[in-house]
Amino acid sequence: MNTNNNLYTIIYTTVIVVVVAALLAFVSQSLKSKQEANEKAETIAQMLAAARYDFKSELDKMSNSDKLDMYAAEIERAFLIDLQGNEVRDLGTDRDAIEVFSPKDLKRINYNIKGGANATGEALLPVFWFRNGSVVVPIYGAGLWGPIWGYISFQGGTPTIGGAYFDHESETAGLGAKIKDDLSFQLQFEGEQADFSQANVFEIVKGGAPKEADGKSVVDNKIDAITGATMTSQGLDAAIDTWLAAYAPYFNAEEVVL
Amino acid sequence: MSQKLKETILNPLFKGNPITVLVLGICSSLAVTVTLKGALVMTLSVIVVCGISSLILSLLRKTIPGRVRIIVQLVVVAMMVILVDQVLKSFEATYAIDKQLSVYIGLIITNCIVMGRIEAFALGNKPWPSFLDGVANGAGYGIILLVVAFFRELLGSGTLFGIDILNWMGYVPNNLVILPPFALILLGCIVWVQRSIQKDLQEQ
Repeated sequence: MNTNNNLYTIIYTTVIVVVVAALLAFVSQSLKSKQEANEKAETIAQMLAAARYDFKSELDKMSNSDKLDMYAAEIERAFLIDLQGNEVRDLGTDRDAIEVFSPKDLKRINYNIKGGANATGEALLPVFWFRNGSVVVPIYGAGLWGPIWGYISFQGGTPTIGGAYFDHESETAGLGAKIKDDLSFQLQFEGEQADFSQANVFEIVKGGAPKEADGKSVVDNKIDAITGATMTSQGLDAAIDTWLAAYAPYFNAEEVVL
Repeated sequence: MSQKLKETILNPLFKGNPITVLVLGICSSLAVTVTLKGALVMTLSVIVVCGISSLILSLLRKTIPGRVRIIVQLVVVAMMVILVDQVLKSFEATYAIDKQLSVYIGLIITNCIVMGRIEAFALGNKPWPSFLDGVANGAGYGIILLVVAFFRELLGSGTLFGIDILNWMGYVPNNLVILPPFALILLGCIVWVQRSIQKDLQEQ
């Protein structure tokens, strides 16, 4: 048979691509629920890390089921607020009906915060109150190569940051990836104060944030950027500003309580 | 087993090792050798992708139109890589490792060993030898990966498979070892050792 004939080539490539596509679609559908369960447990671990229950590296040693148990035990209340800071509805916190937000969900909310062509509706922002007094809120934005996201916790509804955890899809290993891997970068957030009175709620400063005489960072809304990762630092700064500014009406309310 | 088949399996493991002799797959061997666990998962993934892609393409070899053969190879290899990635993401035990290896699992498709073996071997040989050739080349790649990862995890983190080996006696982990350049230095040393054992590789 002449395999170099044009018609044969076209039919052959079409058939092989369709077969491969069908196979991949089938596998993707059948594994979806397992992957989502893994992703959910990962998201929960990130929130617990931001709420300072333990370091992420320690939380990673727990099984998915243990992470869900811990979350169900430690969450006080979770709810959605609108951009005016009003509560809209409660989120599920029972062990079997935990509602958390995957990076894909955060992406959708991010579009809604920014408005514009990609928005699908009103922006509803999740707020998670934990029993240790941490209020955890997510952030999402663009790094250098792909999306970056994470969680920041505030102490009892004050502007004082308790902890933070960030993750990314494809930042450069050893540089931009430090937002996730470098514990000292994340620890910088601890004790700093977000400034909800302005659009620039938090700053990641290239060249270094103001320091006290003893080398400690001044308690303000500024921390050091990552050397060699200017674009990722700027992306994270923009993501934090966009999201925390959207939360500002909630945190600025006279009394932020449960 | 025939002499030729034995040669097909044993050659890539040492004498014709894809990394140290053919110098293919260097990129990922620098990137995923920080921990033994990561290197092991990467090794198994490459063995699966390489072996099964070779098998499929060897079965199809007489039907593939010559002008689009690279594209057909690419489709099959890409399919295998996506399958491996999806499966790794589905299990609790491998999810964290898949996250750690991030883009490098997807990048197996650009690993020259896979396409190289298909083009050079699978398209001209029967399915069984092609499968063995793919697996053996994946294993040859994996052996080097594991050797590099052994030294990098031991000296860079003081652990092996995450179990403390050196830290309890006050060892201070060496950060240089964690960085990619050290993997290159280590690879150079492995090539050096191999060439001094196997004299016929030395240039005049």
